[in-house]
Amino acid sequence: MKKKLGILLALVLSIGTILSACSSKEDSAAEKSGKNGQPYEIKWYTVGTPQKDTDKVFAEVNKYLKKKINATVKMTQIDWGDWAQKSQVMINSGEPFDIIFTNGTDYVQNAQKGAFYAIDDMLNNEGKALKQTIDPALLEGIKIDGKTYGVPTNKEAARQSVYTFNKRLVDKYHFDITKVKTLEDLEPMLKVIKEKEPKITPMATFKAYLPFDYIFNGEMPFGIPFEGDRDHVVNPFATDVAMQTYKTMHSYYKAGYLKEDAATSKDSWPMDVENWFVRMGDSQPYADLLWSRSAKYDVVSVPAEQPVTINDSVSGSIQAISATSKNPKKAMEFLTLLNTDEYLRNLVDKGIEGVHYKKNSDGTIEDLPARIDRYNLPTYSLGNHFILYLYKNDPKDKWEKFKEFNESATAAPTLGFHFNSDPVRSELAAITNISKEFYPALATGSVDPESYLPKFNKKLKEAGLDKVLKEIQKQFDDWKKTQK
Amino acid sequence: MPKLEQNQPTVTMPSSLEGMKGGGIKKRRKKYRDPQALPPVVNTIVSVLLGILAITCIFPFIYVIIISFTSEESIVRNGFQLIPKEWSLDAYHYLWSMKEQLFRSYGVTIFITIVGTIISVFMITFYAYAISRPQFKYRKFFTFLAFFTMLFSGGLVPTYIVITQFLHLKDTIWALILPLSMNAFYIIIMRTFFLKSVSESILESARIDGASELRIFFQIIFPLSLPGIATIALFSTLGYWNDWFTALLYIDNPNLVPLQSLLMKIEANLEFMRQNMDIANMQSSLFNTIPQESAKMAMVVIATLPIAVSYPFFQKYFISGLTIGGVKE
Repeated sequence: MKKKLGILLALVLSIGTILSACSSKEDSAAEKSGKNGQPYEIKWYTVGTPQKDTDKVFAEVNKYLKKKINATVKMTQIDWGDWAQKSQVMINSGEPFDIIFTNGTDYVQNAQKGAFYAIDDMLNNEGKALKQTIDPALLEGIKIDGKTYGVPTNKEAARQSVYTFNKRLVDKYHFDITKVKTLEDLEPMLKVIKEKEPKITPMATFKAYLPFDYIFNGEMPFGIPFEGDRDHVVNPFATDVAMQTYKTMHSYYKAGYLKEDAATSKDSWPMDVENWFVRMGDSQPYADLLWSRSAKYDVVSVPAEQPVTINDSVSGSIQAISATSKNPKKAMEFLTLLNTDEYLRNLVDKGIEGVHYKKNSDGTIEDLPARIDRYNLPTYSLGNHFILYLYKNDPKDKWEKFKEFNESATAAPTLGFHFNSDPVRSELAAITNISKEFYPALATGSVDPESYLPKFNKKLKEAGLDKVLKEIQKQFDDWKKTQK
Repeated sequence: MPKLEQNQPTVTMPSSLEGMKGGGIKKRRKKYRDPQALPPVVNTIVSVLLGILAITCIFPFIYVIIISFTSEESIVRNGFQLIPKEWSLDAYHYLWSMKEQLFRSYGVTIFITIVGTIISVFMITFYAYAISRPQFKYRKFFTFLAFFTMLFSGGLVPTYIVITQFLHLKDTIWALILPLSMNAFYIIIMRTFFLKSVSESILESARIDGASELRIFFQIIFPLSLPGIATIALFSTLGYWNDWFTALLYIDNPNLVPLQSLLMKIEANLEFMRQNMDIANMQSSLFNTIPQESAKMAMVVIATLPIAVSYPFFQKYFISGLTIGGVKE
């Protein structure tokens, strides 16, 4: 009797094992490859909506790669919204794969955790060609404790915030936007728009710009001014600039230039809805052209700052080799090829010639419908932009302009400095909460800075602002000593 | 059905039972001014309150349906409205245009719900039955084993490692079925149910007649425990139908994405787009596939309707099942 009951239980436990055994076949093949002539399969995870023609394109890619480096690539895309959570679980669980897309703080944290393979040695061997191709500012900027943990996408390395205007309205009222340098300069135009264009919101909600190099992001009260004392970390919200800017913003808000729910609204102001006059964004060469194309009406921008190379702008898109990779050398060879080989780069990005795009006689290309419907990859995440084919309506000097843009940029004081927040974790958590409460209201002008800014700063002080500032300063000084 | 029950807002088990009882008593003694019946005033107040509660429960869903029929123009200009200025079927046209993915996801969801519920019911009842029988020597140990997982769970990352690296379930349909099939809480419920409702003497008589252990289980225990089994079957059906998280973790292949996960993906993608306008504006075609507000609502409608429609059938069975008496001793 007892035995039979035991059997019943054993049955339950074994169902799981049996069912799972059905699906565990393909594991052993991947492991022994790369040595005995078998092409090594590189597992590559990158961001974006999975596409229908991925297999078709990668069959071509693999044909080419087998010849070149005796490897094949299995690329898997993870959808935009799933990316953050899924990639984090994959990394934390130590799943074996070779290459993964990463950016920003994710990159820094995972690299500090040891999730990525340091590629400095390989950059001098397998990746020599790669090192020569990529803008040194990018490679320098993503170094963490002196080591490189990924291959940055070679594109614009700097950030330039711009005010973007709706060109139709600018022309209609003959505004001279070239004179706009600061937030205050917008006033006369906003006034006209508010009076004469009732259907247009004069300002698409944006957070007022402050000229600081932020340690975390614009919301957190830690930054180094771009101008003046570039050696000391301060609280930007305690400066006169902040007070001045937020006052202006508040007067705009009171005048009704912004939507009333600006501080809390999640409205993203898509470009293709023509209901705004001025907005703020990050630019790159010929950005107006791209924006106009996606908006389907003309926009025109004026810079709000000089191009500046900051940590965020260099780590916007990185392909890192996983520490769990079984063959990092092959992965590096592939990344090198992806960033230097024009055929491969365009194949991965644009698909197959004649199927996804067609080539014109002058070397430019045009998308065929299949590129949009079946193989639409996010160009920015994949690799070197400067070897991409130009579209028919692209300016001929597009990539030259990018290079000029990168060369004209100045390096931010903290470029390459990555703060280790472990010692002040609890203070930072408190400060984050306070910032989340005050910052959106202040930066959109929804509240009066005269009363709210001091309140904000007082609360920050109570939460341990000074301690964090001190810690950042200490690490910053230490880091500077190691720089030549 | 008695009047009160129709007003019942949510269909949780105990309250609907009460509803039935109350209604039944009321009906029988209407003419006699039953001292236990609620005074008419109180009755009205309670009915109104319950009515309001019911409306607050059902209203959002009606609103969702209305929005799904609103034209996108109208939403952008006037926001969500109860009676929109312009009606439109665009959202459903849009869904029709992505019917391939939709039908696939529907198929996946239905498959995992049915297969999952069956597997889950068998695994849970087998386990629960075994640990409910006093003759089973190790039942304390196995009870504790199940109970322990209720107190301490392995956490996300270890679970992920087990499923992807030991069981190799990643990107297979089993990854959607097996992780949810065992549930310690249901095991404990069923164990208690077996202990309480199936008397040892019945089993003894079966044994005397020479029935094997399996035969006892399928021919005696199973029919006797139908109410309990129906309950956990319903719970796991809902669990499988609504599950999106396992798909987020384990599924890369778009052909294996269940319906709820598809919805979540769309929602999450929209959120991502909001936060990364720069990317969206630079390569505008990338996000073309993301539907607008009304289409989102239309998706909610078609994802929820089947389960909402089938619920009453379940519920009926579920209540009658529970009220069937077991064994009288």
